Amino acid sequence: MTAKMEASEGKMPHNKLMTYGLVIAVVGTYLTYLNVLTGVAVFSFFGGIAAVAALWWGSDTIKHLCSYGLGTGVPSAGMIAFGSGAIAMIVGTKFGIASPIVTVILAAILGAVIGYTANNIINMNIPVMIMSLMELAVVGAMTMLGFAAMATGSFEFNQLIIGSMSLSVESAGVAAGGAQTFLVTAIPQYGNSLIGGAALAVIFFLGALALQHPFNACLGPNESQDRTLMLALSCGFLSMIVVAIISFVFIGLLAGTISLIISLIAWFYCYKTYIDLSKRDAYAWLDSKPIIEVGGDQ
Amino acid sequence: MEEIVLGIGITALAGALATVAGAAEDTESDIGSQGDPNSQVQLAPQMGYIHRIFNKAVSGEPPAYGLWCAIGAGVAWAFLQLNYNPALAIILGSIVAVFIQGIYCTSGYLGRTASLAKFKQPVYIDILKSLTSVTMAHAFVAIFCTTAVCYLMSAALHHPFALPLLGLIWGIALGAAGSASGNPFYGKERQYQNQKFGAGVPISASGNIVRYAEAGQRSSLDNGWFTTKFAGPASGICFGLIVFLELWRTVLFEESLAGWGAVIAGIVLILIFTFIDRWIEVWGRKTYGPYTEPEESSS
Amino acid sequence: MSALGGKAAGGDGINMTGTIVGIVIILVSIGITAVLGASLIVPLIGIIIGGALIAFGVHFVPVGGAPAAMGQAPGIATGVAMLAAGAGLAGLFGGAWAYETTGDFLISIIGGAVGGGLMMAITCLMVNATYVFAMGIPAASGKIAKDPITGDTFPEYKSQGTEGHGLPFISFVGGVIGGLIAGLGGTIIYIELLDAYSTGLATIMQAEATAIQPLAISLAGIFAIGFFLVNAVLAAYNITGTIEGPHDPKFKRVPRAVIGCAVASAFCGLISLLLVTNIGM
Repeated sequence: MTAKMEASEGKMPHNKLMTYGLVIAVVGTYLTYLNVLTGVAVFSFFGGIAAVAALWWGSDTIKHLCSYGLGTGVPSAGMIAFGSGAIAMIVGTKFGIASPIVTVILAAILGAVIGYTANNIINMNIPVMIMSLMELAVVGAMTMLGFAAMATGSFEFNQLIIGSMSLSVESAGVAAGGAQTFLVTAIPQYGNSLIGGAALAVIFFLGALALQHPFNACLGPNESQDRTLMLALSCGFLSMIVVAIISFVFIGLLAGTISLIISLIAWFYCYKTYIDLSKRDAYAWLDSKPIIEVGGDQ
Repeated sequence: MEEIVLGIGITALAGALATVAGAAEDTESDIGSQGDPNSQVQLAPQMGYIHRIFNKAVSGEPPAYGLWCAIGAGVAWAFLQLNYNPALAIILGSIVAVFIQGIYCTSGYLGRTASLAKFKQPVYIDILKSLTSVTMAHAFVAIFCTTAVCYLMSAALHHPFALPLLGLIWGIALGAAGSASGNPFYGKERQYQNQKFGAGVPISASGNIVRYAEAGQRSSLDNGWFTTKFAGPASGICFGLIVFLELWRTVLFEESLAGWGAVIAGIVLILIFTFIDRWIEVWGRKTYGPYTEPEESSS
Repeated sequence: MSALGGKAAGGDGINMTGTIVGIVIILVSIGITAVLGASLIVPLIGIIIGGALIAFGVHFVPVGGAPAAMGQAPGIATGVAMLAAGAGLAGLFGGAWAYETTGDFLISIIGGAVGGGLMMAITCLMVNATYVFAMGIPAASGKIAKDPITGDTFPEYKSQGTEGHGLPFISFVGGVIGGLIAGLGGTIIYIELLDAYSTGLATIMQAEATAIQPLAISLAGIFAIGFFLVNAVLAAYNITGTIEGPHDPKFKRVPRAVIGCAVASAFCGLISLLLVTNIGM
C-alpha cells in the first residue's frame, strides 16, 4: 500500500510548522532555566509548553508519514518516536546547560539511522521515511525533555536522578574533653527521583499516545489540518495536567499549582475549540436522533 | 516458610485482581469498539451503513492501557512519595488516569466521526453523553486493579522495578491479553450477528455490521451486555492466569534447584498449556466437522 | 490488512547497499564504543544480539490484525508490535526479578524467555478457546494446506469467503517461540544495560553501588522498553501488518529485519552507553 491515502493538504506548510515547533520547544525548555537564575521553581511550566509545541509539530509529521500505508497502525509511529527519543533524551541531559541542543542533535542522528534502517535495509522505500523518523525522534526527545523539565524544574541529569537528600550521621569518635563529635554527610537518594522512580516511564507513554492520537483520531476523508492540530494541542495540555500532578513531588506546592492551573486552562480552551471544530466538520450534529439511512442494503 | 505462605497469599490476591481487571478491560474496550473491531465500525459508514455505535479510536488496547495503567501507577507513586496512604494513592492515581481516558475517548469519537462527513455519518452527541461514563467506570475498575497488582508486586513481593514501570509493563500486557481473547468475540459474534454462526465473516460482508437491536437501534451498551457473557470473563481468565502463574512460579520455585526451579516450572506450564490448546483444537475439528469434502476444495 | 487486498511493500528481497552500509554502522558503533571504554564492548554486543533476537521473535508471533477479529484471517486479533511488546515485557518482568534474586545471568535470561513464552501460551490458548467454544469456529490456516507439525489439513475447515481463522497448532507453537525469543532478547538488553550502569554510574557519580542500584534498575528498565519498542516496530514494518507464524511466506523476510534491528540496536546502544562515559557532565 504505497499509494497515498487520503489526508488533507495542510493549510499551514509543514516546514513552517516544524520551524515553529522546534524553536518553541528549545526556547521553552531553556526558559525553565529561569528557575536556576531566580532560585524559585515557578517557571517549570515552560517545559510543558515546550513539550506541547513539539507534540503539535510531531502530529503533523505523523500525518505525512502515515499517509503512506505502513502496513501497521498509526500508533506504532508514536512508539518508535518515543523509543528512540527516550534514549536520546536521557543521554542528552548529561550535557548541562547545552542539554536541549545536544538532545536535538543526538535525536536527529538516532532518528536518521533508524530511518535509514527502515527504508534501505527493511526496504520500506517510502520517500519521507528518513526525514519523518528524524523529526519524530526529535519530537519524542524534546517532549520528554520538556515534560521532565516541567516535573523537576530542571533539564540536567543530576537534577533528574536525585530525588532528595538524606542526612547520615556517623560518630567521628570522641574528641578531647569527652565531647562526642559527629560527621554529618548528605547522601543523595536516587530511588525517589524522576528517573530513579521511573516516573519518566509515565512521561514516555503520555507523550507516545499524545503524539499519535491526533492523527489516529482524526483520520478519514474529511480530516482537516486545523482540527487535527487543535487536538494535538489539547492532548499535549492534557498530558501536561498529569505531569503537573506528578511535579508536586519535586517542585513543591506553589510551582506545581501554577503548572496545574496553566495546563488546565489551556487544555480546556483547546478541547472546547476542538469540539467546535468537530461540530464545524461533522456531517450533522444530532442529539438523541435515530439512524439516518443513506443506502446500504436497506 | 512464613515468607512463602505470605507470597502465595499475595500471588492469589494479585491473580484475583488481575482477573477482574481483564474482564473490565475487555468490556470497556467492547463498549467503546476500541482495538481491531473498530475498523468495522469505521468501515460501515463508507459502505452506506450509518450506525449509532461508539467509535472510540484511541490506538490499540495495549498502548492505551499501557498509558492508563502507567498514569495510575505513576500518580499513585507520586502520592506515595508525599506520604499518602497506599489505598488512597492508588485510588487517586486511577481517578486521574480515568479522567485522561475519558477525554481521549470523546476526542477519538468526535475526530473519527467528523472525518466521515463525506459518507453522511452524523455525530450522535448523546452517544458520548450516555456511554463515556460507562466506559470510564469499567476503565476505573481495570486501572485500579492493575495498579493494585503492581503495588503488591513492588511493595509485598519486592520486585526491583519501580511502581510506574510495573504499571507500564502490566498495562501493556493487560491490553495485549484483553484484545487477543476478547476482540474476536466482539468483532465476529456481536458486530456480525447477522452472519452464519460457526463460520468466519466473508470478506464481502465487511462493513455490514448489525445496527438495529431487538427493538430500536443498537447502542454500544448492548455490546457490553453481550460481551460480558463470554469475552469479558475469557479476557479476565487470560490476564489473571498470566499474572498468577508468572508470580506463582517465581514465588514458589525461585529458591529450588539453585534458581532453575522457576524456569523448569515455567517450561512445564507452557507444555501443559500446549496440550490443552491441542485438545481444544482437535475437539473443535471433530465437533464441527469439515465444512466441505477434503477432495473438492484442496486448492 | 491483507484481507482487504493490501499489497506488501518492498517485496521479500534484501537490499545489498543498505545492508552493507548497515554492517558498517554496526562496526563503527563497536569501534567508537571500544575507544570510549573497553568494558563497554560486551554490553554493546549483548544489546545488538538482544535487538536481533527481538526482531527474530516478533516474526514468529501470529498476528491477524483487524481481519482476525472478524474471523477473516488466522492469528491473534491485535497489533503485531504491541502483542510482542506485551509478551517481551512480561518476560522482562520475570527476567529482572530472577536477576534480582539469583544474580545469575543464564538463569535470568532463560527465566525472562520462559516468562514471555508463558504469557504467549496462555494468550494463544484463550484465543483458541474463544474461537472454538464461543464462536464454534475450528482453526484453519489460509496460507498452507497442511499443518507441518500435526499434519492436519485445513482447506475443508476454512469457511467461505475468508482466509482462514483461529490459531492452528503451528501458529500456537510460533506464538510461544516468539514470546520466548522476544523475552530472551529484552532480558539480555536489560541485564547488559543494568550491569553497565550499576558499575559505570557508581564510578561517575562517585556514589556507592547499593545507593545507585534503584537508579540503574529504572534507567535500564526504561531503556530496555525503548529498545524493545524500536525493534518491535521495525520488525512490524518488515512484516507489514499481519503474519500467521513461522509457516507464513512473509517469514522469509526475517533476515533483513534481523540485520536492520541489529543496526538500529547497535547505534541506539552506542548512544545509551554514552551515559556512563565522561562525555558531557
